[in-house]
Amino acid sequence: MPEVEYTTKMALSRELVWEFVKDMNNWAPMLTGYQKHEIIDDKDSIWTLKGDVGILSRMVRLKAHVTEWSDRDRVAFTLEGQNEKVDGGGLLVMEDVVADAPPPPPPPKRWFGRRFMDWLARKMFRRMHGEGPKRLAAPAGTEGGTRLTFTLRMEAGGPTGPLVNAMLGPALLPAAEDLANKIAAHLEKVHLGSGATSGSGSAAEKAA
Amino acid sequence: MFHSSQSMWFRKAQKWQLEVDVVVIGSGAAGAVAALAAHAGKAKVAVLEKSDRFGGTTAVSGGVVWVPCNKHMADVGIADSFDDALAYVTRLADGRSEPALIRRYLETAPQMIDFVEGATPIAFKALGRYPDYHPEFAGGRPGGRSLDPGLFDTNTLGPWKDKLRRSPVFGMTAMSVSEATDWGVFSKPSALPFGLLAKRFKQGLVCYGGALSGGLLKALLDRGIEPTLGTSAEELLVDDDRVVGVRARQGDKDILIGAKRGVVLASGGFEWNADLCRRFLGGPLTHPNSPPGNDGDGLRMAMSLGADLGNMSEAWWCPSLMVPGEEYDKRPLHRGDFATRSLPHSVIVNKQGHRFVNEAHNYNDLMKAFFAFDPVAYERTNLPAWIVIDQQYLDRYALLTYVPGMPIPEWLIKADSLDELATAIGVDARGLAATVLRFNRFAVEGADPDFRRGESLYDHFYGDPEHKPNPNLGTIEKGPFYAIAVHPGAIGTKGGARTDGDARVLRPDGAPIPGLYAAGNVMAGVTGAGYPGAGATIGAAMTFGYLAGRHAAQRSG
Repeated sequence: MPEVEYTTKMALSRELVWEFVKDMNNWAPMLTGYQKHEIIDDKDSIWTLKGDVGILSRMVRLKAHVTEWSDRDRVAFTLEGQNEKVDGGGLLVMEDVVADAPPPPPPPKRWFGRRFMDWLARKMFRRMHGEGPKRLAAPAGTEGGTRLTFTLRMEAGGPTGPLVNAMLGPALLPAAEDLANKIAAHLEKVHLGSGATSGSGSAAEKAA
Repeated sequence: MFHSSQSMWFRKAQKWQLEVDVVVIGSGAAGAVAALAAHAGKAKVAVLEKSDRFGGTTAVSGGVVWVPCNKHMADVGIADSFDDALAYVTRLADGRSEPALIRRYLETAPQMIDFVEGATPIAFKALGRYPDYHPEFAGGRPGGRSLDPGLFDTNTLGPWKDKLRRSPVFGMTAMSVSEATDWGVFSKPSALPFGLLAKRFKQGLVCYGGALSGGLLKALLDRGIEPTLGTSAEELLVDDDRVVGVRARQGDKDILIGAKRGVVLASGGFEWNADLCRRFLGGPLTHPNSPPGNDGDGLRMAMSLGADLGNMSEAWWCPSLMVPGEEYDKRPLHRGDFATRSLPHSVIVNKQGHRFVNEAHNYNDLMKAFFAFDPVAYERTNLPAWIVIDQQYLDRYALLTYVPGMPIPEWLIKADSLDELATAIGVDARGLAATVLRFNRFAVEGADPDFRRGESLYDHFYGDPEHKPNPNLGTIEKGPFYAIAVHPGAIGTKGGARTDGDARVLRPDGAPIPGLYAAGNVMAGVTGAGYPGAGATIGAAMTFGYLAGRHAAQRSG
């Protein structure tokens, strides 16, 4: 199953980030193509997204089921297509950035063709969804903070699965980046106020 | 004297931001071929495209080109004659096109194909199995006269790769029309090689109209003609009765482009302009299948210079179906229906629950039955209309985004009985029951004496060849039963500026407007009311684009 991972850093405490991320209602509207979501119970909700399938856009209803909700640390969920044969899941992980700790190893370098395809996918994504959120820089002297990593995996099934996956695959990374950055931008705006545009993150594709 | 809305001295005082010999407005096949032909005539050319993608309606189409007497027909054993083609097209035009123009089209189209194959990477192949749309008429060809552009590698376009318009329907499945036929795209959708198609998608291969537009774009780029995207022509500029340039809108600024030898309108039809559709068309056109930019701007510009008009009530009609929520270019996507109504286990009914047409007939002529008018009730008898199918259909065949093996789509109206289905869609239940009972008898017998569905070779092309006794007729008896609304749509309108045999736009007195040409759906369609065969839209568009570009290049500056 195609899976992508995107990490971004915020000059905010993990507690602040967790307060926001722990409740899906807060960030579900930040999902790419969000139309609406309905809460079924504590663990289940239905998201209606306008998804770009290659060239056209289509309404997709996904049932999100929370599988892991670890205090101040992570939210994991599965996704099940309600009107399309598509399944997947996501994981949001929050980690403290320790000022003196060595930086985490950079994601493995991808071959040029892959990076070009990602660039192209981002370009197409931005054309369809507009520019990404404006990120704010941390105030001078700020140390520490939180690293937010969003892992997203999606796979279409059924007879047309290979074809849909060929179109879906390139859109996953921009979608993961979009959500993580929107969460970060929102929290920065609320807690840091105005500041210079920054935005920092790194992406990795785990499986093709 | 003709003049634009602003004074002449003002115009003369203007300095052109760009001055070329020929300005082409629109980047569909008509415009692209006009540009190539003008360039071949040593003209300096500019191509303006108002959307941010190249290719216009052509790029979202089947990309097939209908050309009688083309040299490739012999490769598949089809003989043709000019007289046969003339008789055939003349009959279908139904008096709505001028005989001299039809002759000009038929005489020039084979030359145009030679020119395009010489000027572009496109190597057409005769399909040989795609019948003319009335193959049994005198002069019709059972094997058809349609040419397939094959596949195109978008990587050859370099930075223009993602500027080529992609079809929302065909843009993801790179298969040639021949392959689609061989693979049973309609009758055996589950057996399509989706893995191969995914691989081709990743490789950047495109088919159908994308392949045709891609090949034309490549030829333009190879000649140093970079289409100017995101630039809409707003006004034709005239000096001393002659069209000398264009005022175009680019973002928030106007630019003036001089055209020393001529301006070619190739900007498509007016099917997305509801006001023009209401004023001119013979029936309601509510669900066009083309890109939303086709709003009649070229027609408006031609009218503003006093162009004579023709064929204004006609369109390349096509029944449309919708998947709720689907959008293309930020507008609702209307998908043309070619096969659902032709495959076994389907019928189209009106609100009385009655069939009213051979559902498998060609899409253009089929739509005319939807516009039937009851003068007493003062309403259109056959609108709204519904396709009704049963579970047998969904077990075997595709429907829009659905392929057997996938969940039954929520957008299909579903009921356990025909009675309940009739109630759900507001159709007379007794009428529907009687219709289905009668249709089922026809299906078993293999003949439809009411509407002759399944008689023509054309019908069979979109049917299931393995279904017996008739590839287009199957019972509707296994629940659940399903329905989907059929809407009046069109691939494009085909009324517009009247032209002569050189694609010069004419005034009502028959004299050409100097320096103004029209080709494609902005001109009064040469095939009149008819649709001779697959690609007749593009065949005529490319032919008159070729004539326009060639003639404009020869004009003295």
